[in-house]
Amino acid sequence: MEFRTVGSIEEALACLADVGDEAQVVAGGTDVMIQHMRREINPSLFLYIGNLCEMEGLTKNGSHAIGALTTHRHLATDPLVVAAFPALAEAASTVGSWQTQEVGTLGGNLCNASPAADTVAPLLIADAQVELRRASGVRRLPLDEFLLGRRSTARLPDELLTAVTARPPGERCGETYLKLGRRSAMEVAIAGLAVRLTFDAVGNVESAKVAACAVAPRAYRAVEAESVLEGSRLEEGTVAEAGRALVDSATPIDDARASASYRRHVLPGLLVRAVATCRERAVEQR
Amino acid sequence: MSGSVGKSVPRLDAEPKVRGEAVYGVDFELTGTLYAALVLSPVPSGRIIGIDTSAAAAQAGVRAVVTAEDAPDLRSGLALDDEPLFASDTVHYEGEPIAAVVADSLKAARRAVSDVIVNIEESPPVASLEAALTEGAPLVHENWETFAPVPGLPEWPRQGNVVGEMTADPGGVDEAFAGADHIVEDVFVADRQYQAYLEPKSATAIYEEDRYTIHVSHQYPWNVRSRTARALGVNPSRIRVIGHHMGGGFGARLDVGLEPYAALLARLVRAPVKLVFDRSEDLLTCNSRENAIIRIRSGVMNDGRIVAREFLCDMDCGAYATDTVFLISIPIFLAGSVYEVPSTRVVARAVYTNTTPTGAFRGVSGTYLNFALERHTDNLANTIAMDRREFRIRNLMDDGHRMLNGQILTDAGIMRTAFAEVEAVAPWADMGKGPNRGVGMAATLWLTNPAPGQVTLKLDVDGTLGVITGASEIGTGAVAMGVRQIAADELGIDPRDVIVTMPDTDVQGHDGGAQGSRTTHIVGRAVREAGTGLREQVVRAGARLLGELPDDVEIGDGHVSVKGEWNRRVTLAEVATQALYDVGPLVASGSYATPTPKYDPDTAVGLLFPTFPTPTYHVHIAEVEVDPDTGLVTVLRYVVVQEVGKAITPEGVIGQIQGGVAQGIGYALYEGLQIGEDGRYRQRTLEAYRVPIALDVPRVEAVLLEHPDEEGPHGAKGAAEPPIVPVAAAIGNAIADATGGAINRIPITPEDVLDALAENRED
Ligand SMILES: Cc1cc2nc3c(=O)[nH]c(=O)nc-3n(C[C@H](O)[C@H](O)[C@H](O)COP(=O)(O)OP(=O)(O)OC[C@H]3O[C@@H](n4cnc5c(N)ncnc54)[C@H](O)[C@@H]3O)c2cc1C
Repeated sequence: MEFRTVGSIEEALACLADVGDEAQVVAGGTDVMIQHMRREINPSLFLYIGNLCEMEGLTKNGSHAIGALTTHRHLATDPLVVAAFPALAEAASTVGSWQTQEVGTLGGNLCNASPAADTVAPLLIADAQVELRRASGVRRLPLDEFLLGRRSTARLPDELLTAVTARPPGERCGETYLKLGRRSAMEVAIAGLAVRLTFDAVGNVESAKVAACAVAPRAYRAVEAESVLEGSRLEEGTVAEAGRALVDSATPIDDARASASYRRHVLPGLLVRAVATCRERAVEQR
Repeated sequence: MSGSVGKSVPRLDAEPKVRGEAVYGVDFELTGTLYAALVLSPVPSGRIIGIDTSAAAAQAGVRAVVTAEDAPDLRSGLALDDEPLFASDTVHYEGEPIAAVVADSLKAARRAVSDVIVNIEESPPVASLEAALTEGAPLVHENWETFAPVPGLPEWPRQGNVVGEMTADPGGVDEAFAGADHIVEDVFVADRQYQAYLEPKSATAIYEEDRYTIHVSHQYPWNVRSRTARALGVNPSRIRVIGHHMGGGFGARLDVGLEPYAALLARLVRAPVKLVFDRSEDLLTCNSRENAIIRIRSGVMNDGRIVAREFLCDMDCGAYATDTVFLISIPIFLAGSVYEVPSTRVVARAVYTNTTPTGAFRGVSGTYLNFALERHTDNLANTIAMDRREFRIRNLMDDGHRMLNGQILTDAGIMRTAFAEVEAVAPWADMGKGPNRGVGMAATLWLTNPAPGQVTLKLDVDGTLGVITGASEIGTGAVAMGVRQIAADELGIDPRDVIVTMPDTDVQGHDGGAQGSRTTHIVGRAVREAGTGLREQVVRAGARLLGELPDDVEIGDGHVSVKGEWNRRVTLAEVATQALYDVGPLVASGSYATPTPKYDPDTAVGLLFPTFPTPTYHVHIAEVEVDPDTGLVTVLRYVVVQEVGKAITPEGVIGQIQGGVAQGIGYALYEGLQIGEDGRYRQRTLEAYRVPIALDVPRVEAVLLEHPDEEGPHGAKGAAEPPIVPVAAAIGNAIADATGGAINRIPITPEDVLDALAENRED
């Protein structure tokens, strides 16, 4: 087994073009090293990309692009990120501990494709696209299409995830991410919910985006719940109905952390809280 | 100098531990060490058809593969001789050692473990207490009748899967029930709890001159010595145990762990052998706190008196008796104390199952026994619509309370003071107010372990004081602070000028180990015994140096001085140096063991642990808020009033209270080692087994009640173990209050909280 460090994206892509099939990309290593220790993976090459600083941070160049190597700590604390993507910043601030956040990256979180990955839901409500590069070119894919299922993505063996582009909330818009775990930190989500609501001038919901994680094989947009909320004024009954639609869309499992029925049970309550926060933030923003 | 006892002092071992410089048992290495790993049974129950070690033995770097055939054909145990070193024909739990591999590196040893082929014909495991106690249940040990109690222990009632049964039935209980206005019955269930110390288990052994030297981080090196000797069939003096810094233990390091294996392997390969568990091995094989089922029934009168009680408790030993079989005695001390219950019957059983053997964990069995008793107390009060605090005060025991074993608690009235102190700090009427909030109380008594200790004090030529003791510093500061302070005050010197040894069974007298809060109490008392002797010698030597009579000089402030003449004095260094060539080194020893309290041996059958020495008194109150959407519980406020005799190191005691409550909150709300129907643990790593983190635990408010004990040094009693005992009960009562529903399980999960809320809504 070999551990190779690369100094440029081109070098990384050349290596992947050559031996992508046998290689495992390592960014922060917070998922990879554990999987290796548990003997879930046994690649012949670890390709360490953590030195590629051109893949770090938020750039505003027409659209908002976030480098795949941006750490959770960076997402949680950089004022630019906090202003542009409050839900993503919130999500990143709940990942593991400060130590995990300091090394774990956005790209790693997406490529690892855990059902409970915290950054996915806030990116789904921001219509995120991933940028995948290979020696022979680049392609962009909606995040929704990139994620195929539990631990499964559309990334090809010779591709590197280089950046994520996303749309920040606009005017009269508020968003939030709520994570439910038993402990107050160092916790994998039992359920997670990202909501972004945009209001029209008179306070009706113009557009609603709801994404849930840890209640299905992958995080997903709960479109039925969204359409219930859209056009409403968030009356108690409407939010409750959206909560029921959200529950219907979930396909949770029983595991050591919680039962499927518990996961279903908590979703409506989380939605009530999330929409209230969105409304507050939309008002503050004005 | 006015002395350091009663003051908080700098802790000298803190800095090396924080800096990572302290050498713990897992860090310790001998030159030329080989590494071993164990082959653990992958199944909870089955017959071993064959073990093929040839592939493993052929691996590069492998020095030996060892099985039962290479080990003495012996069974041994803490109470009952039922456990072999390696399983030979049957396996009784997942994780039971079957073989060991010794290799040049840890990596090679671990790799070769997977090449040992063990062919096991699996059989359905006896996976739960219910299954083990069912009529006609398969026997975990077909040959249970051949197991004998360890030498010195009398036989006790046991039968099949029931490895111990303790019965206390004073008669008249049924009649008392018949006269009660109400009878309330509850069933409580508790899961296991893993000690989750930072340092996984390890042992390093070397065999030389026909003796075994074992390097450990262990709570009880003298027990390692005797247990290893019995496992190997040699005299205890053939074993030498040397202690190193310890990364926590909480009871899991009281019985032997890897030490007998390391010793055996070191002899077989004639080289030092180090054995260390990874976290998963440690968790799966650890002698965790036992799971239990408690059935409790009480008769209560409309005026608030409790008149009758029946208390039945089944504890899961796992596959071997270990020390859990001793714990069936504890219910007798708790079921009829704190509150007066004139007529009480107690039956407690320890039960074999095909699961990892359980064992001691801080607050042994008391955590769930108190949960059952105090949850039940709330239910009794609610049944007669009496305020829960008033009901407790109404039934509180007083001075002279007679426990069910016949032991008299002369000072039991302290409990009343403790309730009053709680009220002063956290008035009952103000707590738990507001939606989704609740308040709960729990009270308990707890013991101080009476096991013996010994100390030798030597005054060095530079005026420092050496304390030679086998006491182990488990992390509480009992040695690093308490023993050091008590020793310093014997000569009026600075605690920093006291040097304490690490345990070495070749060097010191027997020590009963870091258990049951005994170290400050017992070893501290031994220090005082030794101090009396040493001071006499110092006075004589000092007087000689000053040209005075011994009666005319005194020790203080690091000097011997002439009474009434402050400027005529000599330093302790001068005294020790001069004495060296006049009378020889100044050295004195002291020993102590708690006298056994009076009790009535006829009150119970099967009482392996008959008394509750040096009791202390505790009242806890918790305020919680539950989240009606998620069932999550926030502990808003937590107050402890604890009777301590005398706080030698107040900061140390408060730290132990904070830590005990944190561990109790973990037990109540977060942890829980569950056993699946397949007999395997469901939580197999610290990712799945979740201990609380700093954010989950409030700052605990502690009030120390000082009530000096006649026997303890400066009046000190045990303090570190008990703060965990009433926590699950106080929190459980608070959650039941907040939700209005039943809380009958440990841990209390968010789902239980939602169920309790739903139950209340239905009512
Ligand atoms: C203690 C602890 C707590 C944790 N808590 C949380 C939590 O609360 N929430 C949560 O969501 N996660 C959590 N995690 C998981 C992990 O930290 C995150 O998923 C993190 O974002 C992974 O990033 P990384 O850079 O460490 O990824 P790595 O481990 O380096 O990689 C993860 C996967 O992505 C691939 N990969 C990484 N970067 C790229 C790239 N640019 N292009 C292509 N493939 C790539 C790797 O090959 C690998 O398959 C926790 C992990 C630990 C150890």
